[in-house]
Amino acid sequence: MPSTTSAAQRAHESVWPRLERVLTQVRKPARYVGGEGNITVKDHAGATSAWLLVYPDAYEVGQPNQGVQILYEVLNERAGTVAERGYSPWPDMEALMRAEGIPFFSLENHLPLRAFDIVAFSLAAEVGYTNLLAVLDLGGVPLRSAERADDDPLVIVGGHASFNAEPLAPFVDVVCAGDGEEFALELDLLLKQWRQAREAGDVWPREQLLAKVAEIEGAYVPAFYEPEYLPNGGLRGIFPRREGIPYRISKRTVSDLDAWPYPKRTIVPLTETVHERYSVEIFRGCTRGCRFCQAGMITRPVRERSRETVKQMVAEGVANSGFEEVGLLSLSSADHSDILGMCGDLADSFEGTATSLSLPSTRVDAFNITLADELIRNGRRTGLTFAPEAGTERMRRVINKMVSEADMLRTAETAFANGWRHLKLYFMIGLPTETDEDVLGIAELGLKVSALGRQYGRKNKVTVSVGGFVPKPHTPFQWVAQDAPENLRRKLGLIRQRIAVDRQVTLRYHDPLPGVVEGLLARGDRRVADAIERCFALGGRFDGWDEHFDYDRWLRACAETGVDIAWYTERERDEDEVLPWDHIDSGLEKAWLWQDWQDSLREVELDDCRWIPCYDCGVCPGLDVQHQTGHLPIVHASTR
Amino acid sequence: MRVRARYAKTGKLRFISAIDLGRVWERALRKADLPIAYSEGFSPHPKVSFAEALPLGYASVGEYAELTFATALPLDPAMAALNAAFPEGLRVLAAQEAPEGAAKLAKRLQASCWELEYPAEVEPDVLERAVEASLAADRLPVARERKGETTTVDLRPALHVLAAEGRLVRAVLHHVEPQVRPSELHDALRLASAGAHALADPLLVTRIAQGLPMAGGLEEALDSGLVLVARDDAGTPPISVASVLQKANS
Repeated sequence: MPSTTSAAQRAHESVWPRLERVLTQVRKPARYVGGEGNITVKDHAGATSAWLLVYPDAYEVGQPNQGVQILYEVLNERAGTVAERGYSPWPDMEALMRAEGIPFFSLENHLPLRAFDIVAFSLAAEVGYTNLLAVLDLGGVPLRSAERADDDPLVIVGGHASFNAEPLAPFVDVVCAGDGEEFALELDLLLKQWRQAREAGDVWPREQLLAKVAEIEGAYVPAFYEPEYLPNGGLRGIFPRREGIPYRISKRTVSDLDAWPYPKRTIVPLTETVHERYSVEIFRGCTRGCRFCQAGMITRPVRERSRETVKQMVAEGVANSGFEEVGLLSLSSADHSDILGMCGDLADSFEGTATSLSLPSTRVDAFNITLADELIRNGRRTGLTFAPEAGTERMRRVINKMVSEADMLRTAETAFANGWRHLKLYFMIGLPTETDEDVLGIAELGLKVSALGRQYGRKNKVTVSVGGFVPKPHTPFQWVAQDAPENLRRKLGLIRQRIAVDRQVTLRYHDPLPGVVEGLLARGDRRVADAIERCFALGGRFDGWDEHFDYDRWLRACAETGVDIAWYTERERDEDEVLPWDHIDSGLEKAWLWQDWQDSLREVELDDCRWIPCYDCGVCPGLDVQHQTGHLPIVHASTR
Repeated sequence: MRVRARYAKTGKLRFISAIDLGRVWERALRKADLPIAYSEGFSPHPKVSFAEALPLGYASVGEYAELTFATALPLDPAMAALNAAFPEGLRVLAAQEAPEGAAKLAKRLQASCWELEYPAEVEPDVLERAVEASLAADRLPVARERKGETTTVDLRPALHVLAAEGRLVRAVLHHVEPQVRPSELHDALRLASAGAHALADPLLVTRIAQGLPMAGGLEEALDSGLVLVARDDAGTPPISVASVLQKANS
């Protein structure tokens, strides 16, 4: 077929010569040039499979993403496999690309999207959905899976948002929930077979390709499932429509993090990004059991990386990057069983250098001040951030954030006494059962902390940061009604008014409207897809950015596609309602989640299963892992 | 120990800003494990300073940096280590220790030599005529847009020498405030090519060298070599991007 051959050739030509002539016309051209330190640029001539890994947000947000970085290395280490990266073009760049006829491209070889066998999106959050459609559209791939030709690239999504991919179901060929390392390598083998057959003239029908993909453990192929609805608009179920397709798809879980010591060579950006550091996960999963926290629920069980592995990864990662900061990542980094020893080792090795350590997620207790002091041994004490999440002990019992006010104030005082000057406190409003008293409790706590701060320095500051709670799938709060934006605004007003008496306390908050869209996309079903596509067609992009988010555009898109936003966001679900993500198995028993939600209403707390007996959330059985930590549960239980 | 370096910023790197460039240097110095000195104070910074910011999008084989090291060290291996740590497109071409008490390098950077490379569709004689007309003109008025306002500026006082060779145009421009950009020189050439309003944009613009203006060119700031934009009467060949890189490689 000569005509398709020339089109195919064009699809494999670098866009760089065209791009470099126009690149100074856009803001921040460094976003689009690639050429960063530690990248892998492979020749496609010898490739047997080619991946385009896309983080559908601006370069400076997407580039530091740990998931993309890990898969990039894991895939590129395999001979014959090429993995390149792409990020959403800023609107000025998208306009220029459309004007110049430049398709969506990779940063390594500046190849068009269609030069790849697969485009894999990392979806950390729901707000990237319109950008995902923009990438496909710019890449010349039909938006809907059903419209794709046999030789179109495979479109796959992974990341936290993929635990409810129903709103994206018509647009994606495959969804993978959970850890991607092993899954990607298994899928890669199939891609090689697909390409080899194609190049030999045997182009697999799309359905055959998808059927083979569906055989991989953890692969959810939405096209093989069909939702049925009840007269009241709810779901009757989402049913497999093909033989051999499972009713439920299990998430993937990597059991031994020490066997996957990535990233080894972190990409070093040429232009400023949101996190410029060598980051290493010190453990995955979290069993603190905060009821609002989707990340903590869907990443169980806890799997620690050993102190030795972390030490070695950091030593190499800093040496080969030139980074000045090391981030020890996890959902609650101070909970690593060997955290003090690990930080001590690292602080020792950085003695006399400008390298610093950071622990992005830590809980509120006195132990953390010791830890924080250790971290900044050779730096300066500026700001410490804590997340009490709620303002009253009652509210914290509801969300299972187990910390008393007395503990919190003692922690704050220790911090100020040790020379920290600025405490930042993170809270949520709109939590289930919340009263105005709970809301005002946020302001009161901020004021109390500030009063303590004043005893240690007139200029000590407190920032109270408040966000609106958005209920997420696979959590005990997946059934709750999201607070209406007008009510959130009223509650913010209460806090603002109360806090105004103290000038050393700053209030930071976000407008509640983006949270409405986030809530719709987070708990939406397949019918929401039309609204996403409509919003994209109306120009919706970069919904996570204040300057681009347009609530009216979403309202219009939903109205035109018959999507009732409030039905999805502000409606409390019954116990027996079928949820759009029930067929994605995160490991958690729905009955346990419901029980935990009922406990929440009775303000009953649940301790961390690392130091109490197993309460059967459902994750561990069936996996060949238990919680892998160095904690000794009995000792901890008796000392707390 | 103070070191002056002349370096190249080419390829994809030419799209990174001056601020970004500073960070790339700092990281490479750390990665190469060189004993760069840090400033005193609350927020210590590596002692690296740059002269004359290069406008975004232009390449250069004539950029300058001054580095201060905490200890004395042999220059060649240090610069080799630095070049190995740089991303592709950034490269130190020459370096020398600054004499004690030497004046700032910036004092010697009074003019830039630029090379504009035109695409194949541009006829060399069109460029030659445009160059001749520009040199003959008393004034070279071009439009300049800054902060949304368009004014007319005369480029002639800043234009020291100008020559065409095939599809290359080379010019030495005095450093004046505000800077004259090579794109404005292109505008002047386009206007001077009388009627040939379609003179295509250059494919690539490269700064070849900086230094003190001299007859026919400039005296390069680091090694005081003479840089000519056109072959002189004695037959000395002009400088070019290619010749600078060739010299650095030898």
